[in-house]
Amino acid sequence: TRRRTGEALRALHTALRSPGSTGRSQASKEQAQGTMLKVLTSFKSSEIEQAVNSLDRNGVDLLMKYIYKGFEKPTENSSAILLQWHEKALAVGGLGSIVRVLTARKTV
Amino acid sequence: MAYHSFLLEPISCHAWNKDRSQIALCPNNHEVHIYRKDGAKWSKVHELKEHNGQVTGIDWAPESNRLVTCGTDRNAYVWTLKGNVWKPTLVILRINRAARCVKWSPKENKFAVGSGSRLISICYFEQENDWWVCKHIKKPIRSTVLSLDWHPNNVLLAAGSCDFKCRIFSAYIKEVEERPSPTPWGSKMPFGELMFESSSSCGWVHSICFSASGSRVAWVSHDSTLCLADAGKKMAVASLCTETLPLLAVTFITENSLVAAGHDCCPMLFTYEESQGALTFGGKLDVPKQSSQRGLTARERFQNLDKKASSDTANASLDTLHKNSISQISVLTGGKDKCSQFCTTGMDGGMSIWDVKSLESALKDLKIK
Repeated sequence: TRRRTGEALRALHTALRSPGSTGRSQASKEQAQGTMLKVLTSFKSSEIEQAVNSLDRNGVDLLMKYIYKGFEKPTENSSAILLQWHEKALAVGGLGSIVRVLTARKTV
Repeated sequence: MAYHSFLLEPISCHAWNKDRSQIALCPNNHEVHIYRKDGAKWSKVHELKEHNGQVTGIDWAPESNRLVTCGTDRNAYVWTLKGNVWKPTLVILRINRAARCVKWSPKENKFAVGSGSRLISICYFEQENDWWVCKHIKKPIRSTVLSLDWHPNNVLLAAGSCDFKCRIFSAYIKEVEERPSPTPWGSKMPFGELMFESSSSCGWVHSICFSASGSRVAWVSHDSTLCLADAGKKMAVASLCTETLPLLAVTFITENSLVAAGHDCCPMLFTYEESQGALTFGGKLDVPKQSSQRGLTARERFQNLDKKASSDTANASLDTLHKNSISQISVLTGGKDKCSQFCTTGMDGGMSIWDVKSLESALKDLKIK
């Protein structure tokens, strides 16, 4: 289980660093979004806070962008999971991180 | 902290006279009202009525005691006190959009006006014709100029714009001054020369400020960031993504410390670490007295749960002094290098004076470098 958590954490960091997130084509963006949602879903609720704390400021901002992108096209369970991530990301990034989702020129 | 509620409407802009006994402000209309301090009270002593549109900027020249105002009517007026009456002189800015900000230069022989015409009007007095003329700085500004600040050398001018950039221009006017000597921002300063341009942040630049020495410039943008360019480090830019709502005003209070405020209704301290080239958040400066946590009755708790889905009592009302966004900060005493008092005005129609020493003793973790 600790190994699984470690893997999920690594997957999160990799997904955040992947260039597909701010790539030019719509297809690569959608793929990145899908991957990110899978990664976020793979976390247990109790692990989310620790995962958010492992990110730097830019990571939190990028995570927040993905969360709102995920809200745009909800699936069966996605909103509930995203809301949990939103709560933890907000605690770390503050309202400023949401403002930067709204003002960003490069969307995810 | 001394808080005075002037109006029930926003204070659009304000400016202080040299000895800080009088404040000129726009009460969200076409006029400028001047209040004088009368002991603990403020009395209105003048009403300046000339603009045909909202007054968006006021600046009070400390030595010559002249006021300059600009407004959405695309005009600027220079006001001179004759006896007990303020007499306006119209300045033709040659703009076709609203004027948004105005600042006297340090030597008070020029002033700059930023406008929606995507340019800056640099105005100076032409002796032979006995009127104010202006020159335009246009390139490469792509949107409204929201904020301006002069470098202490009276030539360089920093401008923040809605095209997301902070720029430093030369506003050298050969008719009124000598050629400036080189600065860390550059040596050749013909009129309109672009000395520095920031790479895009993602927000309108609401406010911009030179440090007292002029070798640093800081600005706040609508994407909730604070940035600082250091000419001493080859114009390297340090930026901080804040956790707050966007900041609307910023000023240096020492060469390394900044106070900024905005939509969170509360001034905050930021520190620039020169060695690391980084900006850090230093704390909120408006810490309310610990109001007694009144216990909730079971009924109130249930009502909260019903209405807000939470039994949390916090954040029901604003604890800050200002009850609405702070839109302007001005240094009152000590200058930008050793500020001992600064003033904030906001959309709640209130004006507050903050004492740096009192803040340092009241907020234990506050470190002003």
